[in-house]
Amino acid sequence: MKWFIKLMMVVLILVLTSCSDDQYPSISEDQNVLITVNIKDMSVSFINVDTKEKIAEWQMEKPYTGGLILPDRDTLLLYGKQLDNVDLFSLRNGEKVSSWELGKGIVNGKLLKGGNQIAFADQSLHAVRFYNTIGQELEVVKTEANPLTLFENQETEKLYVISFNAENLTVIDENSTKKITSFPIHPSAAGAVLRENQREIWIGGHGEGTELESNIHVYDTVTGELLKQIPAPLMPINFQEKDGFIYVLSHGSNTLYKLDSEGKVADSTKVGANPFEMTVLGESLIIAGYDSDDIHFINADTLEITKTVSVGRGPFQLILRGE
Amino acid sequence: MKKYSPTLTVKIWLAITASILITVVFSFMLSNLFYQKLYVENVEDALLAEGNRLALDYEGGPLSDEIRKNVEWYNSKNESEVFVVSNPRELSACLPFEIDYETLIQPQEREQLLNGEAIKKMGYEERFDREIMAVIIPLLDQNRLEGIIYLYVPLAKISELTKDFTYLWYIAGLLFMVISFYIGTILVRKLTKPLKQMTDAANRVSQGDYSARVFIHSADEVGQLASAFNHMSSSIQKEDERRKQFLANVSHELRTPLSYVKGYSEALLSGIAKSKEDKEKYMSIIARESKRMDRLVGDLLDLSRLEADEFKLEKIPLPFAQLVEDSTQKYNITMNEKGVKLSYDLDPDIIILGDEGRIEQVIQNIMDNALRYTEKGGISITLKKFRGGCSLSIEDTGTGIPKEDLDHITDRFYRVNKARTRANGGTGLGLAISKKIITLHGGSLKIESDWGKGTKVEVILPIVQMKE
Repeated sequence: MKWFIKLMMVVLILVLTSCSDDQYPSISEDQNVLITVNIKDMSVSFINVDTKEKIAEWQMEKPYTGGLILPDRDTLLLYGKQLDNVDLFSLRNGEKVSSWELGKGIVNGKLLKGGNQIAFADQSLHAVRFYNTIGQELEVVKTEANPLTLFENQETEKLYVISFNAENLTVIDENSTKKITSFPIHPSAAGAVLRENQREIWIGGHGEGTELESNIHVYDTVTGELLKQIPAPLMPINFQEKDGFIYVLSHGSNTLYKLDSEGKVADSTKVGANPFEMTVLGESLIIAGYDSDDIHFINADTLEITKTVSVGRGPFQLILRGE
Repeated sequence: MKKYSPTLTVKIWLAITASILITVVFSFMLSNLFYQKLYVENVEDALLAEGNRLALDYEGGPLSDEIRKNVEWYNSKNESEVFVVSNPRELSACLPFEIDYETLIQPQEREQLLNGEAIKKMGYEERFDREIMAVIIPLLDQNRLEGIIYLYVPLAKISELTKDFTYLWYIAGLLFMVISFYIGTILVRKLTKPLKQMTDAANRVSQGDYSARVFIHSADEVGQLASAFNHMSSSIQKEDERRKQFLANVSHELRTPLSYVKGYSEALLSGIAKSKEDKEKYMSIIARESKRMDRLVGDLLDLSRLEADEFKLEKIPLPFAQLVEDSTQKYNITMNEKGVKLSYDLDPDIIILGDEGRIEQVIQNIMDNALRYTEKGGISITLKKFRGGCSLSIEDTGTGIPKEDLDHITDRFYRVNKARTRANGGTGLGLAISKKIITLHGGSLKIESDWGKGTKVEVILPIVQMKE
């Protein structure tokens, strides 16, 4: 009979492990967490931003490249260019709760109108697709080829779309979901900050071919005229505005610049290895080093690194669930 | 159509040629491979060492112009191509953005470089549009890939080097093959020559020339075959001579009585014998000689039957002592007349499995001989048992047999006294027949003799084991 008991135990273990396949460590609701989507090892890391400790890591089964947190503060939406579906996970339950069939090509997603709408950049349809938070498609707006960067003017409820290859910026009205205008910009543009009060859009980029982008291009929000170029080598691709300063992250030189509103360099520092992502949390900036597999908490005032936390391999996007 | 079957010479020659060819081609390929591998590894290691030495100048932070200039200078002096790359684009830093650009460093190579490992690669490189062997050394500032040192050698240079080597090989290989073919041909000829000799000799033997011999004195298999052949042909020759001798003997033995019969019968017919006594005397001679002929023919028949394998013995259990006594009883009268004494020492318990008539024939043959050559003294017969068999010895005090004749005494028609007439002689086949019969019974016949003192004939036969 011993062998039978052993066999039953093995079967039991197999059944249990197969059940727990989609079960991930739960993330409690009352924590403020920073979520990193890591490309190289297909994982998602969770950092408690108050204690600045990593609290969990989910090993995913699909190559997600980015995501966002829905307004319910519990649903983590993850997408990837190679994936047929956008998958939704409950942080509390640590499991997949839903899947939306959007097809391949989703490279970016952004919550609009304070969380009521989601805009997806779709590089298969070369369009921006508007969804509500329960997964119903509201509208598809064609853009130039390969839309990548999305940013919003929350007051005027306008969505700005930069196409990576087409050297074009498209502006869409979020309410009518119609193209308002579009104007040519520099090639391989990525990352932008909208300074509506100054009627300026600052746009970075990677540069085309062997050319490496060293400058931030400043355009007029209305006319699309190139107003000036601010040097911030190499390859400025991420922008955050805070307390009148523009923080620019240049991944080619692993440099964080602190620029005043005129574009003068107030300060700069080396941070991470090949950093792509930056977000603001209170008085801190958080920067993810794609090659160094870590995130850095940086004092926005002094640009000192206050804390470095290791995450999964290849953090490519930061998602913040704050207060 | 007759199927072509190549001679042994051709086969061996083909085998040698094929193995030489295979050896040459194979060793060429192998050495070429080793040479290239060794050379390539050597170059690769040199490039790696070179790169690592250059990388020692890098002390962290962005790549300085000094390093670039130094490497450029080094490149101008050096045989291999060396350059520094710090462009993050070329180093695949923008990878997740899928920029449509053929980078110098592939994503997985970047990972390797980030881990501080150098990259060795060989093959076609699109950037340089040629086959190269390259070594890439990472220049890391902590975990930042600030740049790389890229060193490469076009593979054409390596194959140019191996070209010289290949020419050398072609010449050496060709020379080697020519010499090998020459030596191989000589070797094959040497190997097959004795075989040809043997074929010729065998042909001569089959045509009746039994004196044919081959003269090969090597100790190898061919030599052994040759000596076996020689042995065989000499055996055949001896056998042939024996057969001739036998025929001559038979005709000779028959001719004497025949001439008697012919002569005396003609004398009778022509009326030379007038008196009744003469006639009776002639008739008795004719009768005696025909009896001799009958006996001779009978013995010959016996011998040929015994020698043919078809002969069957009718074996029954026999009390040997009884048989010996019965078959020697009849000699008593003759012996008494001659004054020769007969004595027995027989173990009565011995039982043998044998053909009664044949065993009796053997005893009689031996007794005939013993009596024939014994004029005085006696004949003693002993029957003894020993482990697994019995021995019957018949010992006389006769003239004996000279030592040189002992070995041939059981041969057909062999006579010790060559001049001896048939008058007191048997057919000359008695011992030959006896030996054959004993052999067929699973026993053996031994003859010991001292010239002038007597002869001892010993018959050894297996006995029937009595079950206790």
